[in-house]
Amino acid sequence: MKTGMIVLAGGIGKRIGRPVPKQFLLLGGNPLIVHVLEKVLGLPEIEEIVITCPASHLDETRALIANHGFGEERFRCVEGGVTRQESVARGLDALEGFDSIVIHEAVRPLVTAEEFRALLDAPDPNAMFGIPIPFTVLKGHEYVEDLLERSELVNVQLPQKFDAALLRAAHDVARRDGVVFTEDASLFYRYADAPVRILPGSDRNLKITVPTDLIIAEAIYADLVGRRVDQPVRD
Amino acid sequence: MGKVAVITGASQGIGRATAIRLSAEPDITGMALIARSGERLAETREAIGPGTEVELYPYDLADLDGIPDLVRSIRDRFGTIDALCNIAGYAEPKALLDTTTENVMRTYTVNVMAMIVLIREAVRAMQHHPAKILNVASTAGITSRPGWLAYASSKAAVVSLSSTLADELAGSGIKVYTISPGRCATDLRRVLAPEEDMSTIMQPEEVADVIAKLLDDSESILDGQNIIVRKQV
Repeated sequence: MKTGMIVLAGGIGKRIGRPVPKQFLLLGGNPLIVHVLEKVLGLPEIEEIVITCPASHLDETRALIANHGFGEERFRCVEGGVTRQESVARGLDALEGFDSIVIHEAVRPLVTAEEFRALLDAPDPNAMFGIPIPFTVLKGHEYVEDLLERSELVNVQLPQKFDAALLRAAHDVARRDGVVFTEDASLFYRYADAPVRILPGSDRNLKITVPTDLIIAEAIYADLVGRRVDQPVRD
Repeated sequence: MGKVAVITGASQGIGRATAIRLSAEPDITGMALIARSGERLAETREAIGPGTEVELYPYDLADLDGIPDLVRSIRDRFGTIDALCNIAGYAEPKALLDTTTENVMRTYTVNVMAMIVLIREAVRAMQHHPAKILNVASTAGITSRPGWLAYASSKAAVVSLSSTLADELAGSGIKVYTISPGRCATDLRRVLAPEEDMSTIMQPEEVADVIAKLLDDSESILDGQNIIVRKQV
C-alpha cells in the first residue's frame, strides 16, 4: 500500500499584528512546520509529503525545507486553495496514485512520532485522533438553545488518515454540493459511508490558533526537551 | 550651560520615547537624533516641544565608515556631546538553519559594531569633561533565546562591551550605563514576538523614564552594571 501525506500550511498571516504566517512562527527556536516535518523523517512508509501553502509563501517554504535538510524527492510544496478543504483537495491531486493519505497541519507542532506511528499501524483504513471534551458545551448564541451530552462528544485532532479513493470521492461530492467542512473526518463521515476509528489523542497535541496557544506550547515544549522553565522564554 | 544628548534609534520605540522624555529635562538644551528614516525622525521632532534645539541625522548605522563624520558634524553643530544614548537595534529572528550570513552581519553591525564606533567617536568629542553613555542591551542578552540567535548574542556582546568600557573609561569622568529591557511594546518587539498583545507589556515611555533618571547628574552609582528593566506583572 502506498501512503502519502498532506501537511496543511495555509496561513498567510494577514491579520493585523501578525506579520508572520503561523506556520513560520518559532517554537523553541524553530518554525512550527519544521517540528511537524521532523516527526515524519523516521516514518519510511510515508513515501511522499506534500505541503500545501499559499502561492505567496511557496518560495519561503521551499527555502525553509531545504535549509532544514528535508529532501526535495520526499517533501514537495504545492499551492493550496482558498479554503482548507480546497487545499486538501489540491494535496490529493498532487498525491495521485497513492492508496492511503495522512493529513496533518503545520500548526500542530507538538504531535509526536509515536502518534504518527499509531495512526499508520491502526488496522482501520480511516482513523483520527480525538480527546474527550473537558468542559461543558451548550448549543446557542444569545440564549441557550439546547443541551449537548459531553460524554457523546469528541475533540477532533489531527493527524488523520483515510483511504485515498474514498476521500477523493467524498471531496468531489462535497465540492459538488458546495458544502465546506473545517476538517476531513467530518467531510468523510458525511460523504464516504465508511467508519472512522477514533484513536486516543493527547491534550499536548495543541493547535496553535490564538497567541495564548503559543505561550502554552512553549511551556509544553520546554517540558518535552527538558529545558529549564525558570526564566520566561519570551521575555 | 545646557547639555547635548545624542540618541540613536530616535525614530521609534524606546529611542523616540527617550528623545521626548529628555526634551523635558531643563538642563538638556540640544539633541541630535539619529535613525534611518528621516520622515519618522521628523515625527519625533514634532512630538518634542519648543525649548530644545533638535537636529535630525537620517543615517543607517550599518554604514560604519561614515560614523566618524557623523559624530564630527554633531560636535561641530552643538560644540559638545554630553550624553550618548545607543538605542538603535536590529532584529531578524530565525532558526539557526534559516539564519543567513547577511542577517548575522547586519544584526551585529547595527547592534554591536556601530555602537563601538559611535562610542569611540563620541568619547573623542567628550574628552576633558564629565559625560554619560547609555547602551541599551536586552534581557535576551543574558538568558537563552531559541530562534533569536543573532539578536540575543549581539545583546550579550553589548552587555560585555559596556562593562569593559565602564572600567576602561572610569578615570576619564565618563560613566557608562547599560540597561537590559525585558519585553517592551516597540516595533522591534513586534518582529521578535509577532503574536504578543503589546498593550499588556512594558511601554517605551517607562524605559525612557529610567534612562532619564540614569542620565541625571544626581545619579552616580549605577554605572558599570547591567540594569534589568522589566515590568513585573
